Amino acid sequence: MSDFDGLIGQTPSAPTPTAQASSAQPPASTPPAGIRRIRMPQRLRNLEFWLLLMACLINAASIVLVQLGALGRVDTQLVLLGAGLSVLVFGLHIAMRFVARDADPFLLPIATVLNGLGIAMIYRIDIADGDSGWQSAAVRQIVWSAIAIICAIATILLIRNHRVLFRYTYVAGFVAIILLMLPLVPGLGQNRGGARVWIGIGDIATFQPGEIAKIALAVFFAGYLVRNRDSLSMVGKQFLGMRFPRARDLGPLLIVWALSMSVIVFQRDLGTALLYFGLFLVMLYVATSRLSWVVLGLSLFLAGALIASQTLDYVNNRFQNWLDPLSDARYNADPGGSYQLVQGLFGLANGGLIGTGWGQGSPELTPVPQSDYIIASLGEELGLAGLFAILALYVLLVARGFRIGFAGQDDFGKLLGVGLAFVIALQVFIVVGGVTRVIPLTGLTTPFLAAGGSSLVANWIIIALLLRLSDTVRNHPRLVIDG
Amino acid sequence: MSELTLLVLQLGFLLLLWAFIFSIVYALRSDLFGQRVRKLQPESAAAAPSPAAAFPAAAPVAAAAATAPVSRPTTPPAGDGPLRLVITSGQKAGTEFPLGRDEITIGRSSDSAIIIRDDYTSTHHARMMLWNGQWMLQDLDSTNGTFLNGARVTVPVQIPLGATIKVGATTFELRR
Repeated sequence: MSDFDGLIGQTPSAPTPTAQASSAQPPASTPPAGIRRIRMPQRLRNLEFWLLLMACLINAASIVLVQLGALGRVDTQLVLLGAGLSVLVFGLHIAMRFVARDADPFLLPIATVLNGLGIAMIYRIDIADGDSGWQSAAVRQIVWSAIAIICAIATILLIRNHRVLFRYTYVAGFVAIILLMLPLVPGLGQNRGGARVWIGIGDIATFQPGEIAKIALAVFFAGYLVRNRDSLSMVGKQFLGMRFPRARDLGPLLIVWALSMSVIVFQRDLGTALLYFGLFLVMLYVATSRLSWVVLGLSLFLAGALIASQTLDYVNNRFQNWLDPLSDARYNADPGGSYQLVQGLFGLANGGLIGTGWGQGSPELTPVPQSDYIIASLGEELGLAGLFAILALYVLLVARGFRIGFAGQDDFGKLLGVGLAFVIALQVFIVVGGVTRVIPLTGLTTPFLAAGGSSLVANWIIIALLLRLSDTVRNHPRLVIDG
Repeated sequence: MSELTLLVLQLGFLLLLWAFIFSIVYALRSDLFGQRVRKLQPESAAAAPSPAAAFPAAAPVAAAAATAPVSRPTTPPAGDGPLRLVITSGQKAGTEFPLGRDEITIGRSSDSAIIIRDDYTSTHHARMMLWNGQWMLQDLDSTNGTFLNGARVTVPVQIPLGATIKVGATTFELRR
């Protein structure tokens, strides 16, 4: 039998009987004393093991190829650092063999490959810039990856059941607000590239609390919507074929909208605002299955963005760059010109179908090629074939997340799974769409790829939560009928 | 390193990347094409894979299962007993629930095997257990009663194949 029909647990049409462990009565025929538990072969974990081996092979190959392409020789030092990371990933794998035996087998290998490709590209930029040691962004990225994976292991060991998070709904909401406010605290917050989203003391240990806030927000939205969705979905007037909510039920939507707008105005960060608002809108839609919320929310956000583009200089610049990047005036404007956007497009064009090859392009010509523009850098060196492979990995990752949400038995788990998966999808769309000029460019990190510790930590915790969700789904294989 | 070598290595790397993606897609193809339909031979029910075989749940396994193929956490009842429970009306009409050897509790409480949350179901409403190879239905003093073929269940009764069991607004039956 080679098919894995039960990868996520069950489709709603075929639930499994309740786990015997959870019923109070002993099973009909108790195993004789001495045999406490017969170990089932961990099919899913074994599959994950082979995929992880392949993932580590890809990561090692990409670092070696960078060195061959850019240096012309193999330098073992960074390969060894990368191997250390592989050990940690396998540590997470082994931890899951004990505490999350039935978790999804694809999330971890996909995240590992994305993380490794990011490290290889950052390393390649380092070589071009001549950075080494602690100056090197790649070494810092590896250290941050290690911290992030340790955080993921801790998450999966500490949270044994996602329903625990339901209890902390409002705490999560409060934490999210605090995290969002932190960069605005004088002395703690730092301005970089125009956006005020970092905290840190001096130049060391800077952190972007907004990245962690998106997890807290997903937990809060899921808990809040499960508790209150009846009033948000049942009542209202029919209009234009859609049921619109009552004015007094608009409160939550307006509050989140105001929050996003204040992020645009005070933190000067368009991408983050779009991310939070989009997350809320999608979770609201999934919880109530009413299209009117999406229509209302999108028109609110578009109105806000339009007003912002007229009144705020930096937003206006982004719009102008998007519409007409190749004009002389925009290209030479400084600050806020389209130089970076155009360089990124040139890079992508230079890559062509199969790319220039690791270490042989010139992605370092674009400003910040290792963080916001890592997609353009990868597109130049791996070409369309490589870029589509990366996008396919994201599609698989997000699709698994949605599948976990879909297979979930409790509403909170369903909403949380969908929310966490969607936040990755939306973030990829905002970044890749910005770089390829589908939407106005906004600074956000590409999940797992881009240089940046806070983003890595947040995304690895998201992976850990999704793994935990997928494991709980299968360990509580009950049939729930809501009358 | 000659340019040709690097080009070949680059192509090899891209192939490796896509091979990784396709091995994932291959492994989860049942998501895309659905599960393979298997025919159950009536005379060899014990040898045929049970619906539960697809889910290696982490439940401790009865010692009797140790001799059975390892991919099967619960052996189906011997002989020609029912293999699955099918919801025939209510919110989840059409849903199937594979039967193992375990007792199945029905009620509103979240520790039930089948949780039915409607206005007519009691916290611990009824239970079904396998007794000498026969599924028995017992009402657990529920307020609105459990019905087997329209008759209220007062003492534990045997469930014939295809008999309609009604709990609250939900009806279901046992099938092979």
